[in-house]
Amino acid sequence: MADARFIQPDRHPSQKVRPGGPSMEAAILSAVNAADDLIGQYQGWAVDDLEKLWQAFIETSQKGRADPVRLQELYDMTHEARGQGGSFGFPLISVVGDSLCKYLDGLHRLKARDLDVIKVHILAMKAIFRQELKGQQGGLTKELHQLLGLFRQKVEARR
Amino acid sequence: MEETGGDGFDAESPSVTRMSDGYDFSELKVLVVDDSFHMRELVRTFLEGFGIKDVDVAPDAVEAMEMLPEKDPDLIITDWNMSPISGLDFVNQVRNGVESVPNRFVPIIMLTGYTEMKRVEEARDAGINAFVAKPISAGSLYKRLVSAVQDKRKYVESDAGYFGPDRRSPKRSDFKGQERRK
Repeated sequence: MADARFIQPDRHPSQKVRPGGPSMEAAILSAVNAADDLIGQYQGWAVDDLEKLWQAFIETSQKGRADPVRLQELYDMTHEARGQGGSFGFPLISVVGDSLCKYLDGLHRLKARDLDVIKVHILAMKAIFRQELKGQQGGLTKELHQLLGLFRQKVEARR
Repeated sequence: MEETGGDGFDAESPSVTRMSDGYDFSELKVLVVDDSFHMRELVRTFLEGFGIKDVDVAPDAVEAMEMLPEKDPDLIITDWNMSPISGLDFVNQVRNGVESVPNRFVPIIMLTGYTEMKRVEEARDAGINAFVAKPISAGSLYKRLVSAVQDKRKYVESDAGYFGPDRRSPKRSDFKGQERRK
């Protein structure tokens, strides 16, 4: 068994934190209000990022194949969109991005069917921005998550 | 096993309160590392909204390493997926205490879209203190911030090469049976 030493750090963030600040609700509300402008700007630059993803996809389609570097590029761009969408008020972007990340994860080469799947996902993200579908959109976030899961299952079963 | 401790902090510190009571975070120094301008600005804005006055940002881990000696933050929030050094390698550098690192015990929260168990374990093994899964919200970040303040686990330095927060559940700290962890 490896030996281990347990160490109590001299410093800890609690030494600089005092009670008596705003309540959790007030602190969160203040943070959300402070981020209002930034969140408002999201759609503008996210659409540009999505266009880059679309262009990367078009180039891949034209070549008819994708090397591991290009696949990683597609994955990374989608991964960014997934993380940012919900953070900036577009959870549907995160749902679609999450589905595409799951599909791309572990894919080593692309077949025609894979290109179709990628295309559908990117077009869905474009539609979400075009229609400005902010927030949870009622039960749509959950429903879309389930539908995309079934769609991936069906495609993956035919690989 | 050997137990060491410096002056330490008081485990029963009166500064610790219930989450709902509210905290004054104004004296905290936080460093945010994320290669996405928009994400790091969002995190910075949320933190400032919570009342933290001293929030520094770095666009990558190389710059963050350069900032550490001067900024000496109380808490680091870092992305995982970055270049030229990943967030995971950044955590390793901090925990291994390369010369420029002023505090290898600094709590580190990893902000990432990677939530698969394999990835969580990898980050835990590198010595992170907590995860915030992207997409983030002001609420999820606030709760992690409070957890970082309340989490007073000791750190472990193992001959097997691990250095980071004690990963045992606090509820089992009085466990008297055979230690099976290697």
